[in-house]
Amino acid sequence: MIELRNVTRIYAAAPGRGRVDTVALDDVTLAIPPGGVWGFVGPNGAGKTTLFGLVLGFLHPTKGRVRVDGLEPRRYLRRHGAAYLPERFRLPPEWTVGDALLALAGLEGLKGASAKERVAAAMERFGLEPHAKKPVGALSRGLNQRLGLAQALLADRRLVVLDEPTEGLDPLWRIRFRDAVAELRGAERTILVASHDLAEVERIADQVVLLEGGRVKEIMDVTPPATAGTGYRITLAAPSPAVAEAFPGAVEATGAGAARGTIQGGGAPSGPGAVGFPGAAAVPGTATFPDALAAPGAPDGDGPVTYLVHVADAKELSTRLAALLEAGAVVAEVTPVGEPLEERVRRALDPEAAR
Amino acid sequence: MNALVLARLTLRDRRKRILALLAFAGLFLAAAATARLLVSDTDGHVNADQLFLIGGYPAVSALLLMGWLLGRFPIIATLVLMAGLFSHDRAEGYARLYTVRAASPLRVYGTRFAVLAGVAFAISAVLMPTFDLIMLGTWAGPATLVLILSYVLVFGGLVALLSVWTRADAWIALLLAVAALVWDGLRSAGVLAQVPAGARDVVTFLLPPQAMLYSIEEAFGNIQPIPWDAFLYVAGYGLTALALAAVALHRREV
Repeated sequence: MIELRNVTRIYAAAPGRGRVDTVALDDVTLAIPPGGVWGFVGPNGAGKTTLFGLVLGFLHPTKGRVRVDGLEPRRYLRRHGAAYLPERFRLPPEWTVGDALLALAGLEGLKGASAKERVAAAMERFGLEPHAKKPVGALSRGLNQRLGLAQALLADRRLVVLDEPTEGLDPLWRIRFRDAVAELRGAERTILVASHDLAEVERIADQVVLLEGGRVKEIMDVTPPATAGTGYRITLAAPSPAVAEAFPGAVEATGAGAARGTIQGGGAPSGPGAVGFPGAAAVPGTATFPDALAAPGAPDGDGPVTYLVHVADAKELSTRLAALLEAGAVVAEVTPVGEPLEERVRRALDPEAAR
Repeated sequence: MNALVLARLTLRDRRKRILALLAFAGLFLAAAATARLLVSDTDGHVNADQLFLIGGYPAVSALLLMGWLLGRFPIIATLVLMAGLFSHDRAEGYARLYTVRAASPLRVYGTRFAVLAGVAFAISAVLMPTFDLIMLGTWAGPATLVLILSYVLVFGGLVALLSVWTRADAWIALLLAVAALVWDGLRSAGVLAQVPAGARDVVTFLLPPQAMLYSIEEAFGNIQPIPWDAFLYVAGYGLTALALAAVALHRREV
C-alpha cells in the first residue's frame, strides 16, 4: 500500500553562519503492505513525523519517491482521504468540541443526519459528550488528545496515521485507545502509529520500524512478550538430526524477521543475553562460541535452518547447546524469542550499553 | 466538502476581527452623525467652516483624516480579514487536518477567501455610502461599489498570494500598498524620468495598480462615469494574484 523508495528528505537551514541542513530521512526504502498495524519508534529527531508527513503528502521528498496505493500521496488523499492525528493536535481554540467535530465531519463529506450520528458516536466513544459545548481552547491535554482521536476516526478511511496517539492519555483511555485500534484492524486498513511508548507500540503493532538518524535501523516482528529467556531461536548452518536429541520438542521455525543476536568468537560471555558454555557464567542475550564455530557456513546439502526451542533458563540452554555442538552441528546464531521490544530497541540503538 | 459548513467556520474564526471592523465602522458613523448634528448646512452638508469655528484645526483635521481613512476602509477591512488566510492555518497545523479530508486545499481556501472578501465588501458597502449620506446628503452611486470591489480584489489577491509563503502576508501587502502610493506619486511628479523605462514599467506592473485605483476613486469622488478599463486592469491584477496563489498552494508543502 505504501512505498518509499530511496527517499531522502532534507530541511534546508535558515540563512546564517554555521547553520547546517538537517537530513531528516536518509535514503529510506520501505514497503508497507495493506492491512495491519505498523509501529514507528526511534529517538527524537529520528524521522518518524517526517516520514508520516511524506506519506500524507504534506512534504515532498528531496530525493526518491513515495507512493500510496500507486498514487502520489496528495492525489491519494484527494481521492480517499486519511485518518490523521498529528503529534501536536490543535484546533482553533474558540471552536466548541461539538462544532469542531461537526465541522470536520462536514469536511469529510458527511452531511445532515449522518454527520450528526457519526459525531455523536465519536463523542460517546471518546467520552466527549459532557464537553460538547466547551471551547477547544479550554480542554485539558488528555481531553484534547481524545478530541484528536475522535476527529481522526470520524470517517472510515483505509489509511490511518497516528502520531503519538496516547500522549497525555490516562491509563484507562490508553486501554480504550488500544480497543479502538483493535476495532479498526482489517485486511483493507493500514494503521501507522508513531510513539515513544514502546510498551504501547508493542501491544498494538504487528511490525515495528526502528528509525535512527533518518534511517531504518531495523524492522521487527513484534510477538507477544514472553518471559525472557524461555524461548530461543537457534539457527544452524544446516539441518541436523542432533537437534531432536539436544532439544526435545524443538520446532523448525519459518519466516524472516528474527532479531539478530551477536556471535563473538571465544572468551567469556558478556552483557545481558550472553549465553555461556559450560564453565562460563551464563548471562542472557549474546551467544558466545569458540572461534571455529563463529562463522556460519553451509556444509554439503541444505542451507541454514532455524529452530524454536524452549528451556528453563540460560544455563539449560548452554548445556544443551554444548551437546548439540558435540554432535557436530554448526550453530550460526542464537537469539531469544519474546524479548521485550524495549530490550530489542536498546540493543539496536546502543549495543555497547546493552552489553 | 460542505461549503456552508466551511463558510460558517470561517466567519466564526474571524468573529473578533469582524466585530472590530464593525466597531471601527460604527465609530466612523458616530463621528459623521455627530458632525452632522453639530454643523450641517440647510442642504444637508456638513459645513467644514462651521466645524472649524467649533473645534478649530483639530476638528477639521479629524474630519479630513476620517474621510481619508474611510476611502481606505476597504483596504483595511481586506487586510484585517485576510491576514493569515493560509499561513496561520499552516503554522498552527490546521491546514493538515483539512488537507487529509479528501478536500482540495484550493476549494477549502478558495471558499474561505470568497467568504472573507464578501464580508470585507459588505461592511465597506454599507459604511461608505452611509457615511456619505450622513456627511453630504448624497452618495456616489455604483462607483462606490466598483471602488470597494477594486480594493478587495487587488489586496485580497495580494494577501492570498503572500499568505502561501509568509505569515507576514498582510504587513507585506500594506507595505506594498504604501510603496505603490509613493511610487505613483513620484511617477506622476516626473521624478522617475531618470529610471530606465523598462525597469519603471516592471515595478509599476508588479506593485498594486495605484494609478488605476486613483482613477476609479476620482470617478467616485466626483460622481463621474466609472472608468471600466481601469476596473478591468485592477480586477485582472487581483485575479492574477489569486491564480498564482492557487498554483502555489497546489504545490506548497502543508
